Amino acid sequence: MTLDGDPRVPVDAVMTELHARVRERLRAQIVASGGSRAFDDPALFADVEALLHAAASASDTTKLILPELLGDPDTWRLTTSMRYQSHRTKGPAALLMFLKRRVLMPVFRWLYEYSRDNFERQRRTNQVLFACVQELALEAAQLRREVRRLSPSAPGAASSVPHAEFRDRR
Amino acid sequence: MKLAFVVQRYGARIAGGSEGHCRELAERLSSGHDITVLTTCASDYVTWENAYPAGTSVEAGVRVVRFPVTRPRRIKIFADLSDEVFEGAAPRDRQEEWFRENGPDTPALLDHLRAHGRDFDLVLFWTYRYFQSYFGLPLVADRAVLVPTAEEDAAVDLEVLHEFFDKPAGYLFLTPEERELVSSRALHPLPPSVVAGIGLEPAPIGRTPRTPIDRLDIPSRYLLYLGRVDRNKGCDALLENFQEYAATRKDVTLVLAGPAKMQVPDHAHIRALGYVSDEVRSALLAHASALVVPSWYESLSIVLLQAWNYAVPALVNGRCKVLAGQVTRANGGLYYMFPAEFDEAADYLLMRTAERDALGRQGLAYVEREYRWPTVLERVETLLQEVHLRVQRADLTVRRYAPIQRPSVVEADL
Repeated sequence: MTLDGDPRVPVDAVMTELHARVRERLRAQIVASGGSRAFDDPALFADVEALLHAAASASDTTKLILPELLGDPDTWRLTTSMRYQSHRTKGPAALLMFLKRRVLMPVFRWLYEYSRDNFERQRRTNQVLFACVQELALEAAQLRREVRRLSPSAPGAASSVPHAEFRDRR
Repeated sequence: MKLAFVVQRYGARIAGGSEGHCRELAERLSSGHDITVLTTCASDYVTWENAYPAGTSVEAGVRVVRFPVTRPRRIKIFADLSDEVFEGAAPRDRQEEWFRENGPDTPALLDHLRAHGRDFDLVLFWTYRYFQSYFGLPLVADRAVLVPTAEEDAAVDLEVLHEFFDKPAGYLFLTPEERELVSSRALHPLPPSVVAGIGLEPAPIGRTPRTPIDRLDIPSRYLLYLGRVDRNKGCDALLENFQEYAATRKDVTLVLAGPAKMQVPDHAHIRALGYVSDEVRSALLAHASALVVPSWYESLSIVLLQAWNYAVPALVNGRCKVLAGQVTRANGGLYYMFPAEFDEAADYLLMRTAERDALGRQGLAYVEREYRWPTVLERVETLLQEVHLRVQRADLTVRRYAPIQRPSVVEADL
């Protein structure tokens, strides 16, 4: 390759090749360890993997619906920070806070940091799960819409009850 | 132009990335501009202890004014406050307190900006997260250019930054990903900006002897990690990934060159060298099979550019948008997101030597195209001229309308 010529090894193409190999390795492992037989189909596995991959890569919670629907974050979000509070009157409260902050906390900091790190991991997992659920809900909604559109009884047969179309046919 | 450069630490012995960026630009632009660096007396970025004398000095032809730090960083209070504000929903005053606790607390520097900030045509601020930028920039916002060095970490999500990122008159970014990140946090479209990056001098490719690393018994085929060996840099995951990888491949070594801030496992194929001299560092870079950058958060990986400068390809953490973006734009390496991808990508770089060499050369071509000093300085100069022109126009407008407004105010007072 020359300095101003086209790249001889395009990274995108190499990464696509590597991803395909990794995906196949993962699929083979899952199938070999008794995972779903549906994953015998590499194309289906690729679709599932792509959907979960997109969800797991979502880093921005502002793009998620579930946190909004859950309401006040204080009622569900993991609190990992330490807040020093006391319900006592000013003097004893100050003494108590001093003891908590300067005596107890230094002794237990290692335990606090260990727990905090684990809660942080749980928080990240929750966020990924929120994103996965959202992706799946989106896919399901789109598929339902598509099924309705293709259904011979549409549009009158459209129902707000999930899968009503299938039940009706039975 | 008369320019002020405001930065948290300054000096030839200061190793930080943003501080180095500021110093390089100050020294290279000083031939065409009147530059004053406004900084602190600190040299340690953790404690901010005063180490340099306060006052004015001239360093490599640049005027430097240092202000004392009034108190060292209170590490534990800062750590607890970080937990609190990064959790989200912390009130505004607690978020602002975070910038105060982050330091370096230098009220005299702010007083100086208040008194003399408008004597400068433009005031450039490095790194949004520190005291001097967060509290200093609003004092001269009409002529401020911010070099945010923003990474996709928790700090950039603080709500108070929405308003802050609206204040500068111009922006100087290190990568397109950084521009996108800051732009997504600002309330309004950004003012004039440029992705300038940092410049590099050409490396002596093919002329860097192996002798210094032969003395250390470094094998011929190795992956190189350069920098602080730290969990915050993703080294814990790298070490785990590599141990799994090396369990089935016996002829590969991971060389870690940098001070260790975490336990490095005792492993036959992991060599932790600690601090290394410049000579060893250059030899390690020049002869590596690939550079590994496992960090999650970067605004620009200088070490990645340095590897490409030696035509060495890279293997980077794909979860860091900046790193994946740099590697993809340069066609200079591969990225991974989880262990299986690390294995495949490492195999590719270690086994397929022709492709690996091509990736390295492509990285070098990218550096030649984007990161040589004349190119970088031209971008910076163009932005500074544009922002200065806008500042001048705004000043003219104020002057033109000021006499008309004043009598009406006087009349109202009467």
